[in-house]
Amino acid sequence: MSTWLQLTVSGLSLGTIYALIALGFVVIYRASAVFNFAHGELLAFGAFAMISLCGAGLPWGVALAAALVATGLLAAAVERLVLRPMIGRPVFVTIIVTIFVGSVLRSVIFIAWGPQTRGMPTPWDPLTTVDVAGASLLMNSVAALGAGAAALAAFFLLVRRTKLGVAMRATASDQETALALGIPVGRVFAATWFLAGLFAALAGIFLGMFPRNVDTNLGFVALRAFPAVIVGGLDSAWGTVLAGVLLGVLEVLCQGYVNPYLGEFGRNFHAVFPYVVMILFLIVKPHGLFGTREVERV
Amino acid sequence: MLKVSNLEVVYHQVVLVLKGVTLHVPRGETVALLGPNGAGKTTTLRAITGLLDIHDGRITKGHVRFDGREVAEQKADSIVGGGLAQVMEGRRVLVELSVEENLLAGAWAVSRREAAEGLERAYERFGILADRRRQQAGYLSGGEQQMLAIARALMSRPRLLLLDEPSLGLAPRIVGEVADLIRSLADDGLSILLVEQNAAMALSVASRASILENGRVVHEGTAEELADDEDVREFYLGLGGDGQTDYRRIKHYRRRRRWLS
Ligand SMILES: Nc1ncnc2c1ncn2[C@@H]1O[C@H](COP(=O)(O)OP(=O)(O)OP(=O)(O)O)[C@@H](O)[C@H]1O
Ligand SMILES: [Mg+2]
Repeated sequence: MSTWLQLTVSGLSLGTIYALIALGFVVIYRASAVFNFAHGELLAFGAFAMISLCGAGLPWGVALAAALVATGLLAAAVERLVLRPMIGRPVFVTIIVTIFVGSVLRSVIFIAWGPQTRGMPTPWDPLTTVDVAGASLLMNSVAALGAGAAALAAFFLLVRRTKLGVAMRATASDQETALALGIPVGRVFAATWFLAGLFAALAGIFLGMFPRNVDTNLGFVALRAFPAVIVGGLDSAWGTVLAGVLLGVLEVLCQGYVNPYLGEFGRNFHAVFPYVVMILFLIVKPHGLFGTREVERV
Repeated sequence: MLKVSNLEVVYHQVVLVLKGVTLHVPRGETVALLGPNGAGKTTTLRAITGLLDIHDGRITKGHVRFDGREVAEQKADSIVGGGLAQVMEGRRVLVELSVEENLLAGAWAVSRREAAEGLERAYERFGILADRRRQQAGYLSGGEQQMLAIARALMSRPRLLLLDEPSLGLAPRIVGEVADLIRSLADDGLSILLVEQNAAMALSVASRASILENGRVVHEGTAEELADDEDVREFYLGLGGDGQTDYRRIKHYRRRRRWLS
């Protein structure tokens, strides 16, 4: 019972992190039809920025806020300076451009922070546990779950209840109509990228707390959220979040219950498992759980 | 209120679509802009509202003045903010959003309080929208969608409203309702530029009209003058001398006109 609970909670926190990453992909895609292959680098930037800000002596909470905002601004700048001029170009052009931006960012991160692995600072002792229903859960993973869930809830409130949210959805569904209605579509793009960057940074910071190490390869973790994007349906925010959480849970349960039976082969089976699910989906339900039919580009 | 003078528009740097269009919408009046497919009616509206950019179109000559201010170089959102709203061709309802969210999408330019008042006014005027406020807009009928599109454009409290073929694809009874609505908006003091192919409907609500063909205004006058004009009767109202429709001659005429210009 307690193992099961432990695994489920850590699966949920991993899943929330996947959901944050995947949601960033999806909101950017929906707003500006850009598939952002620099997303992982934004995530890594957020994690490194957090480490440096804490290292500079800022209180943890302040450093967190500053790292999130800085990454959001970086994302908005990428959109404004690099992708805005590309509007109207074919999808593959923007894909190549974001891959390029990603590799530039990766080099910058490497130059700024070097190759060594660092630990992500936490306000509590990293091995702190909390006891829930007889299971002792890692504080880091509970915190990731809590912060991620709060961020996702805030996002859905924003989208459903605010003027900016309506503008974002209007822009995503028909850009010309949004323009004709007087919505400043450029600013909506900026806000969308800012949010996506902020979520990526949050994911990066909590990922860094989990295995407790951050290096320049952290960005590749974004690729592990990719199955959530496909399974959720590329253009559905809800679907993506649900898929992210589900795949996180499945991945951890798989690691706990399936891997041991697979012998040597099973050592990393959990890491490929989400991709197996994704491929099944591509075969059986290519538009994902909630995606619309028109989206078949990727 | 709106003065378009000698406007030239080019798409993709090569296709000259408007070849010197001049139009005038006096304050408080409804002016119709008529013309066949491809004449450049929608392009004229795009030029007025800052929507050429995303179609890779540009104004190469001429002016668009709204209340004496040049708007030709302005961005779409500041034009709407300045009191000029439009309903695009094909209604363009945001199908995944609810009716109410569609209305709110039209309220970016105004304060939260004005948006709430706008909703109230919209629901008062369009009872059907009040009944369906939570429903996805995609499930509305064509006529209801047209009403929603117009109500949405009104949310920004415009002084001038541009309508692009509001009668397109609607049954005659609904076209009548749209015409009534346009009249009642005009009675409230709104200035209107109405683009139509349905000349009978347009001339029944407008005080003046221009006819656009091939990127040029070929005819201009009061609605009565145009309704009595032989050519217009024959080729836009589809009425021959004896009041009979003669589609073969309409086609022939259009072909000839293309040839000549
Ligand atoms: N984005 C574009 N790029 C190139 N040419 C265009 C573009 N949009 C319109 N055109 C051309 O400009 C001309 C005028 O088009 P426009 O849509 O303004 O006509 P319209 O009078 O509104 O016609 P309709 O009654 O069919 O709506 C047409 O020849 C059309 O092919
Ligand atoms: Mg048109």
